[in-house]
This record gives sequence, C-alpha cells and structure tokens, in this order.
Amino acid sequence: MTNSNVKTARYWQTLLAGLWRENPVFRLLLGMCPTLAVTAAVKPALTMGCCVIFVLICSNIIVSLMRNLLKPHLRILMFTLTIATFVTIADLFLKAFVPRMSETLGPYVPLIIVNCIIICRAEACASKNPLVVSVIDALGMGVGFTVTLCVLAAIRELLSTGKIFEAQLMPDAFVPWAAMSMPVGAFITLGLMLGLVNIVAGRKA
Amino acid sequence: MQQSWLLIVASFCFGLLIAVTSAALSPRIRQNEINKRNRMVAVLLPEAKDFIPLDEQIEIQSPRGRMEKVEIYKAMSSAKECVGWSFEAVGSGFADKIKLVIALDKNFEKIAGFDVLLSNETPGFGDQIKYDYYRDQFKGAPAGELKLVTVGERSKIDSEIVAISGATISSEAVVEIMSNSITKVKEQMLKKGIIGNDKQ
Repeated sequence: MTNSNVKTARYWQTLLAGLWRENPVFRLLLGMCPTLAVTAAVKPALTMGCCVIFVLICSNIIVSLMRNLLKPHLRILMFTLTIATFVTIADLFLKAFVPRMSETLGPYVPLIIVNCIIICRAEACASKNPLVVSVIDALGMGVGFTVTLCVLAAIRELLSTGKIFEAQLMPDAFVPWAAMSMPVGAFITLGLMLGLVNIVAGRKA
Repeated sequence: MQQSWLLIVASFCFGLLIAVTSAALSPRIRQNEINKRNRMVAVLLPEAKDFIPLDEQIEIQSPRGRMEKVEIYKAMSSAKECVGWSFEAVGSGFADKIKLVIALDKNFEKIAGFDVLLSNETPGFGDQIKYDYYRDQFKGAPAGELKLVTVGERSKIDSEIVAISGATISSEAVVEIMSNSITKVKEQMLKKGIIGNDKQ
C-alpha cells in the first residue's frame, strides 16, 4: 500500500470508529445525561445531536491547533474553556433561530459543556493528532452520537405518542404509553438497547 | 506559572467571540420572546392587534414576600381601543417554576384566559395544565380569588376551578399564581386609577 492509501484507510477507520466500534453511547457509555434526557422525541434528539457535532468539531479544531502549546497542568482548563465557548454560541443560535426547540431542550444545551464525549475526544484524539484526523474523529463521534440518540428517541416517541415527526405510524387502536416519554422509559429503552448491542457485538467477536 | 499567557489570550479571544455573537443575536432573541407572548395573548384576546407596555410601575408582593415588578401590557384593537390587559406571573409548580401569561378583559373584571410560557410539570399529568379542557375553565371566570375543587363541573364558569385528576399540585399552583397575581395587580391598578368605573 502506498502512503496515501494508508492515510485514507486511517481516516475511514477513524470516521467509522465513532459509528460502531467506539460508539460513544453504546460502547464507551459516555454522554448518558443527554441520552436519557432529550430522547423523548426525535426532533429534540436531532437538535441536540447537531449541537454536539458542532461543538465537537469546533473544540477538536481549536485543541488540535494548540496541541503543541498545551502543558499538562493547563490542559483540562483549556479544554473546558474552549468547549464552554462553543456551547454558549450554539445556545445563542438555538435561541435566536429555533426558539421553540431551545425551550424544549432547556438546560440540556448548556449542559453540553460537561458532556464527557467532547472532553474525551479533546483529550484522547485532538490533543495528540493533527487537524484532519481530529476533525474526522469529531465528525464520526458526533454522527455516531446523533444517530444513537435518534434511534432511542424514535422508539420512545413511537411508543409514547404513536407518532414520529408528527406522522401517525401506529394504528388507531394503539394506546399511547405515556411512561415511555418519562425518565423510566429512557432507562428501560437504553438498557434494552445496550443489551442488544452487546449481544450483536459478542456474536461478531 | 508556565504558559499562563495562553490561558489569558484564549480567554480574551473566546470572550470576544461570545460577545460578538451575543450582540449580533440578542435583538432577535428578545424579539422571539415578545412574539411568543404576543402570539399567546392574541389567542386569548382575539380582537387585540397591538400590545403597548404600561408606563406606570406596578409592583406586587410575591408569595415569598418579595416585591416584584410586573410589566403590564395594554392590548389594543385595530381601532386603537383598549380590549384587554396582559401580564406575566411566576410561581412554583410541582417540579419547577411555572411561568404564565395572563390575559384579562378591559375592565379587569373577567379573566380572558392564560397560557403557559414555561413549565416542567410531569408529562401526562401536571403537564395537562396546558390542555384546553383545564385552561377553558378560566375563560370568563371572575378576576379575583379562585378556588380549586377536586369534584365539580368543568363547563360551569365561576371562581371554582376543577383540578386535573392525579395532578392536584400543578392545578393548585396555577390557581394560586392566577389568584395571587390578579388580585394584587388589580388592587394596584385601581389605586393608581388606571382602571376603574370612569375609565375605559
């Protein structure tokens, strides 16, 4: 294999890692707070996912660019500062352009600051790798997180309202299962999904 | 301290970035809040076309005993006549604060209705304070002390509000916010002569 082929292969591997092998929710069990809190419906889950992708990419870019300047004792402080900045910007944009969604998400947008996925990627990837790899890693992890959230949210929304994106999918005889939109529904769905993913992953290995 | 300069420079740059974004977006954010409230009040007072903030300062005592400023909006019809009043009121609900926007008729005698600006009540139970069947009981109710009852007729419009079954605390919270803020605001408005027998 030529040098460029090795590089491309590595990029693909980094991108795909976030989707399955190192999926932040199912495999690394990071970012459980938003996973449980905003997955009552698909729309807020998708918005949260997009915010996380934005913050992840921006913070990975900044961290990767200044990785040679970082001293161990300042590292975490710089990460938090970078992340907090972009989360605040994302929050302002949501408030200005999708005010209803911003209300639905409430405190969970500012809480992205303490989302472990972002600080984990800054520490594990961006602070050690060049710009391109960091961006691809952020994209893979962000998309992996978003897809997972949307799957969980789709299951919960369907069972709690019979609809997804306002489209009626369940037959009229279906009795909405209100518990699924409450925290208990989040825990049960996540637990069952984690079990399922473990079974599938176990078979593969 | 090694490399503290990096922290200082970064803080400064990030601060600047947030300040610029905030300055650019804040008029839009403020406008969104106003639009939302106006949209809600326009449903409650269908004749209202314009909302003018009242110049006089109205302060009421919250249940905790603090004096709080209330911004009163005068709802004007397209013929520039006063068709009602609206203001926001806050109180504690079951899980979190409940923030309501309350609308009244032009004489402050009857409630035109309320809507929920902010709440975090239990989905499926306390959440029903947003539903029409509960809110409609307030439409046309006398602007004064309201009472929560657990059994009664919802379609009868009077000062008795029938609670949502399984969510007495949320129902009670709304009734308390409404009673408390309306009586106190009315008292102040009468004292200042903004409303009364001789005023329209």
